[in-house]
Amino acid sequence: MRLGLVIDLDVCVGCHACAVSCKQWNASGTTGALTDYDPYGAEPSGVWFNRIRHFEVGTYPESKTINFPMSCMHCEDADCVTVCPTGASYKRAEDGIVLVDQRKCMGCNYCSWACPYGARELDRESGTMKKCTLCVDRIYDQEIPVEERQPACVLTCPAHARMFGDFDDQQSAVSRAVRERGGYQLLPELGYNPTNHYLPVRKHKPIETEGLGKPGFKERLKGLANRVVKI
Amino acid sequence: MHPAFSVIFFTVTSGAGLGLFALLYLVDVFKLGGGVSPDQVLSIGILSLIMVAAGLMSSVFHLANPVNAWRAFSRYRTSWLSREGVFAMAFYPFAMLYIGFTAWDASYFDTSRKLAGAVGLLLAWITIFSTGMIYGCLKTIRQWNTPLVPLNYLLLGHMSGAMILLAMTAGSEGMNNALRGIVLMLLVVAAAMKGVYYYWIGYPRAMGSTINTATGFTRAKVKILDQGHTHGTFLTQEFGYQVSRQLTWLLKAVVFAAAFVLPILLLAGVLGGASAGGAVALVLFGLVVERWLFFAEARHVINLFHGAQRC
Amino acid sequence: MNALVKTENHAKQEIKYSTCYMCACRCGIKVTLEEGKVRFIQGNRNHPTNQGVLCAKGSAGIMKQYSQAKLRKPLIRKEGSERGEGAFEEIEWDQALDILTARLEKIRSTDPKKLAFFTGRDQMQALTGLWAQQFGTPNWAAHGGFCSVNMAAAGLYSIGFSFWEFGAPDWDYAKYFIMWGVAEDHSSNPIKIGLEKLKRHGGKFVSVNPVRTGYSAIADEWVPIRPGMDGLFALSIVHVLLSRELFDYEFLLRYTNSPWLVVQTPGQKGDGLFLRDEAGNPLVWDLEKQAFVSGMDANITPAMFGEFVAPDGRKVKTVMSVAAEEYLDDRYAPENVAEQCGVSAETIERVALEMAEVAFRETVEFDIEWTDVWGRKHDKVVGRPVAMYAMRGIAAHSNGFQACRAIHLIQMLLGALDGPGNFRARAPYPKPIPPHQLPENNLDIINAPNTSLSRPPLGFPTKPEDLVIDKDGNPVRIDKAYSWEIPFASHGLMHMVITNATRQDPYPIDTLILFMANMAWNSTMNTKNVQGMLREKDENGNYKIPFLVVADAFHSEMTNFADLIFPDTTYLERYDTISLLDRPISEPDAAADAIRHPLVGQERDVRPWQEVLVELASRLKFPAFTKEDGSRKFSGYKDFIVNYERMPGIGFLAGWRGKDGSKSLKGEPNPNQWEKYIENQSFFAHHWPDNQKYMRYANKDYLEVAADAGFVGKVEPIIMQIYSEPLQKFRLAARGLYDGPQPPQQVDRERISKYFDPMPVWYEPLEMQRVDEKEYPFHALTQRPMLMYHSWDSQNVWLRQILAQNYFYMNAGQAERMGLKDYDWVWVESHNGKIRVQLKTMEGCQENTVWTWNAIGKQGGAWGLTADASEAKKGFLLNHLISELLPPKQGERRITNSDPVTGQAAWFDLRVKVYKAAPGEQGSWPQFPPLKPLPGDSGERPDVLRYNARSDSKE
Ligand SMILES: Nc1nc2c(c(=O)[nH]1)N[C@H]1C(S)=C(S)[C@@H](COP(=O)(O)OP(=O)(O)OC[C@H]3O[C@@H](n4cnc5c(=O)[nH]c(N)nc54)[C@H](O)[C@@H]3O)O[C@H]1N2
Ligand SMILES: Nc1nc2c(c(=O)[nH]1)N[C@H]1C(S)=C(S)[C@@H](COP(=O)(O)OP(=O)(O)OC[C@H]3O[C@@H](n4cnc5c(=O)[nH]c(N)nc54)[C@H](O)[C@@H]3O)O[C@H]1N2
Ligand code: SF4
Ligand code: SF4
Ligand code: SF4
Ligand code: SF4
Ligand code: SF4
Ligand SMILES: [Mo]
Repeated sequence: MRLGLVIDLDVCVGCHACAVSCKQWNASGTTGALTDYDPYGAEPSGVWFNRIRHFEVGTYPESKTINFPMSCMHCEDADCVTVCPTGASYKRAEDGIVLVDQRKCMGCNYCSWACPYGARELDRESGTMKKCTLCVDRIYDQEIPVEERQPACVLTCPAHARMFGDFDDQQSAVSRAVRERGGYQLLPELGYNPTNHYLPVRKHKPIETEGLGKPGFKERLKGLANRVVKI
Repeated sequence: MHPAFSVIFFTVTSGAGLGLFALLYLVDVFKLGGGVSPDQVLSIGILSLIMVAAGLMSSVFHLANPVNAWRAFSRYRTSWLSREGVFAMAFYPFAMLYIGFTAWDASYFDTSRKLAGAVGLLLAWITIFSTGMIYGCLKTIRQWNTPLVPLNYLLLGHMSGAMILLAMTAGSEGMNNALRGIVLMLLVVAAAMKGVYYYWIGYPRAMGSTINTATGFTRAKVKILDQGHTHGTFLTQEFGYQVSRQLTWLLKAVVFAAAFVLPILLLAGVLGGASAGGAVALVLFGLVVERWLFFAEARHVINLFHGAQRC
Repeated sequence: MNALVKTENHAKQEIKYSTCYMCACRCGIKVTLEEGKVRFIQGNRNHPTNQGVLCAKGSAGIMKQYSQAKLRKPLIRKEGSERGEGAFEEIEWDQALDILTARLEKIRSTDPKKLAFFTGRDQMQALTGLWAQQFGTPNWAAHGGFCSVNMAAAGLYSIGFSFWEFGAPDWDYAKYFIMWGVAEDHSSNPIKIGLEKLKRHGGKFVSVNPVRTGYSAIADEWVPIRPGMDGLFALSIVHVLLSRELFDYEFLLRYTNSPWLVVQTPGQKGDGLFLRDEAGNPLVWDLEKQAFVSGMDANITPAMFGEFVAPDGRKVKTVMSVAAEEYLDDRYAPENVAEQCGVSAETIERVALEMAEVAFRETVEFDIEWTDVWGRKHDKVVGRPVAMYAMRGIAAHSNGFQACRAIHLIQMLLGALDGPGNFRARAPYPKPIPPHQLPENNLDIINAPNTSLSRPPLGFPTKPEDLVIDKDGNPVRIDKAYSWEIPFASHGLMHMVITNATRQDPYPIDTLILFMANMAWNSTMNTKNVQGMLREKDENGNYKIPFLVVADAFHSEMTNFADLIFPDTTYLERYDTISLLDRPISEPDAAADAIRHPLVGQERDVRPWQEVLVELASRLKFPAFTKEDGSRKFSGYKDFIVNYERMPGIGFLAGWRGKDGSKSLKGEPNPNQWEKYIENQSFFAHHWPDNQKYMRYANKDYLEVAADAGFVGKVEPIIMQIYSEPLQKFRLAARGLYDGPQPPQQVDRERISKYFDPMPVWYEPLEMQRVDEKEYPFHALTQRPMLMYHSWDSQNVWLRQILAQNYFYMNAGQAERMGLKDYDWVWVESHNGKIRVQLKTMEGCQENTVWTWNAIGKQGGAWGLTADASEAKKGFLLNHLISELLPPKQGERRITNSDPVTGQAAWFDLRVKVYKAAPGEQGSWPQFPPLKPLPGDSGERPDVLRYNARSDSKE
């Protein structure tokens, strides 16, 4: 199994729901708490697993705004794991989820240096590295309804711009979406082979309006324009 | 990259300490410039061990959760950071054996002494190389992902170590000239390689990562509109560090002046009374600045997602 | 599974369902509690509104619940301290209630209108309105006047339902969707769900908006229109459609007043009114009978176009002829409006044709049998799958009412209303046009002590006689709603209350109660000066607004000015209803309402405002709250909700009515209603059968249910009004051609004459008419960030990390030409004042437009934040620049900066100039003294927060 996410950039409205829901779930999750610094003060900050960035592509008036959520890509060739000196970072053989064992981490930050996607954030209070767990504590929980065994961010996304599934299964929704919509990976040149894929913006085909309507109604109106319609 | 003082101190000190040990051993075994006395091996050797230890200690301060530091030795099969720790630890018994045998002056152990020293030397080299590779192996940081990095670490470690050795061996009758020659040679080579490095990072590869490859929008100009958080995050604090170009140039001048040019002039006696001690201070100061720049100039690819056009 | 991964200990958990209140969308939530602490708030999959999803605010509800700004106990301004100084004393609930009861008793027994009760973002207007009516004051309104009454009024005077919350696009079947001026909307999650659905089905999404963020980001086509020009753009589309005969004859003839005959006697009484028969029915010309017949009859063949001579000799012409004459004129041709709109002629024409293409050549058909209101059976439903939605980008301009009517005109021409793929009504809409409810204007009743109003304070005037004015034609309401200045003010003008009350114009008041409205900050125009007004005293040293009561849950900027504070509960702590009598949460396919109930305990000494209102109503012995014997009728809010009936069988909640809970929509009170709701995950949905889903303005089966449920008065066709006769009646009055009240002042005559056009028109927004475009070259707007609700969410530790400072955005090319760059501090100046703000540039912004996020700037110390929070030091409010009054004009009284028809606050008419701040000028300006901590709050804040609801977790 190769579990991961597909993010549909064509419909992501940049609402940050996934980021906040992630924070909410994981604050009390396996690696919680997720510390907030200066929470009521001048410069609030904190530990998050999922962040939404906003880009603009092209120039006015042809510009397009792209909302861009990013969390751990659960890379196939995850250098964050290989560089970790303590073994706290690991990639699960059974499903490819990359996790940090909070009991082993020494907080050296090294794995975060190796991650191109900014997926790892140090929690200064616990002294440990934290990251997206792919909600491993939800997706395998046999006691919650089947349809809820999904990452918090996926469940909450109001635009259904996030999909979760097994990329090894060619028939899964994620695999199909990537195939059909030309899903791509970020920074492919670095060779991490991220599991998460992004779906590009769809191009709407032009609407043909050939032969629509008869121009010159203003003239016709001088004659008889009425149609007989029975009420 | 955010230049953390503990890491700067660690790499400069332990690099110099390992370099010092390496040169001490070579000078001792190959009797360069007449070699060193057992007493000198003892004092200088201990100094090198202290420096390495101090460096390692300081690197532990860098850890957010030091109680788990001991676990860092476990992943030497894949992690250069782990390797560095393992090799540094492995270095100690051999270096101590070598120093101990020398100090004890038991000549019938000479082979063992030399052998232990040789192993220590090898481990010192590997350790410095590993330190370099901690940075050199990261694909995420173009400025580090080059063989020039471990090479630099090796050269600078030896250069600074040699410098200290020179200073420590200088007696009332002045410096050991052969040693001085070695130091001068190391200074010149290290300076040249540092120059090559600075030149190399100044010219980004055409195929490197850009904001376009980062986002996948490769056919138009891409700009950041909003990072999605008002204030700093771990990512901006750790990776967002930026120095102005002017400051970079200024600091590079300082590096060259303090770490290379002035020491050369000082050692060459051009600046009047040659002082090895002053040269050591200059070199170490220069290397601190060099190491600071090494971090400050490194641009992690995450910056592309915060709006950098290329890294 | 890896042994390291621990799933949750569900044994310790409890799951409860309720309704979100992090915004007015009112999504269903599923709340997991772990030993009483909130563990997880997720969307309720079964809920009709959000179908399982939840937005950022909703997901951050935990941090609202654990906010540092929560009020703890009733507070009274310290004796001897000045208002606004922030010196308060805690008092007991009984004291607080006694103080207010005494005050209110006195007002009610002397001059009830000296109480003004205005409510902001509340969702219980049915209750607050009833309370005001029972008290007997006309001075009540909710936030609609400063929010989006333009949309509500335009819709209710045109199509019987409206944008805002009274309708929704049919996301399932729409193939073309055009969104006008929407950044976030009340239908926050439904729109997001819908846009994705639309795009997945291959529908085209066009966004008309000067700024491209959020929803507009994902639009297939972005139309960066110049602010305030949508009416013109829409009417140009109308021009294109008409000139190519691209309109739906059947729809127009059947469901709109297009064939009705308009009297043409310019300069004479009766001009522009409909030709009517004796019974008052509008007449049409029957093509077959060649005679005038009642337009309300069935089996007629009305003429759509034509001029005729009425039996009495007056010239008449059909509404569509009036329309054709007006809109086929060249001044609406795309090439003639393109420059002004900032949209190319090619785009205008193309958008018009694309809509027509989809409407007429890509129709959807369902085999659904339905019966029209005239009794005829149809075997299918045909949809013209063009849907639209519009909100504040249209509403918040002083020409918004007419602009919105222009948009409805396009919908009517396309026959794209309440059919499959259209903008569809949400129950209890559609209603008669306009709804049959008039504002109380009987002066004898209004002035009578201890007397309830005979009808609600708000309603929908149809003629000058319906205005709420005294015999001299002066306003009777403190906000001047329903006066000649703003005749159709269906939601009141909350943004004028403080100004008018301070100026004692039209009269001084005694007590102002504000519930859930931050009128000292983000929801007021002219904030800095309004704060001054709240402190203003007369020559005797008495406050101009003598007593100010604030009901709030949090330490807002407004509470700081209160004389008496009633601390409310949070949404997870109280019983609450989201009623069909109010702003509905219904969806097009289902009538729905919902409740909240306490999920967590509360450790403070606070009470729900609902409870307080019922208590006050009982103490004051309001008729509806009192038994014959004078004792209280309802023990409390819960009891009130169950047993109060507006009409027999109709109460606040529509589900599980009848003694045994077996009836829906209508039925006797059910003592177990709350329990039933809680059992059903806190909501009720009545799903419309297929035959009642569409064309509900003329759908017999639907209208029968609607009449029974009290949504409409009786089963009769709801004929959409392209041409609005009520508007014309006011115009006649203004022109002296009306037998009835006429505006005494010239300025009102001019305004009404010009802006009360019975046909949709475009005119230049009022502020723009009065300020020099050269001096103030930019339109300045705000947008709602998706993750923040007005002022509330800066107290939310998670949300404020995402947005703690708002920047001032400008088109990048424009900025470059002006020598400005990212993060520069700039001054922004309007006719009303100036502010200093930090600039950011962007591509997706129309070149003459600048904008910022709404309500991020805060007063230091408010919302539980420290005084140096960046919301206060760097964030800013645009509101300081926006005046509640139009720039003065010689010889004219000061007039509200609002739509002249509806009184909708014209937030987005603002024009500004921008220039670079001097070196060293940094930080936002103006700055205000920080709020003092309230009693019981040390003001200390922790450096770190580590929320974790898991009871078994330790690190
Ligand atoms: N510049 C600019 N200004 C604007 C707008 C704009 O677009 N631009 N938009 C306008 C519009 S449309 C609106 S609707 C207004 C909104 O303005 P308001 O209605 O004032 O909205 P809020 O800022 O949400 O503040 C309402 C108050 O409700 C309180 N509150 C929150 N929850 C509860 C509760 O459970 N009980 C009680 N009793 N109180 C509670 C909050 O603490 C706050 O003080 O702003 C208007 N102002
Ligand atoms: N997250 C969140 N959701 C909210 C609220 C909130 O505070 N936060 N508030 C709620 C309330 S009270 C309301 S009233 C609704 C309002 O919801 P919206 O109507 O979406 O309100 P605004 O954010 O003011 O968005 C107005 C949009 O109109 C655009 N605009 C401005 N002028 C013009 C113009 O002349 N023409 C066109 N075509 N566009 C224009 C602006 O760029 C902006 O995108 O949202 C509700 N939902
Ligand atoms: S919740 Fe969905 S739409 Fe919102 S930012 Fe996340 S991915 Fe985008
Ligand atoms: S995204 Fe980063 S943290 Fe996640 S697997 Fe890839 S490299 Fe590791
Ligand atoms: S921070 Fe923790 S997980 Fe990351 S490399 Fe260091 S020990 Fe491993
Ligand atoms: S999968 Fe779970 S942990 Fe990962 S981003 Fe989504 S919510 Fe967060
Ligand atoms: S849109 Fe968000 S904040 Fe509003 S009710 Fe729904 S979940 Fe709550
Ligand atoms: Mo609003």
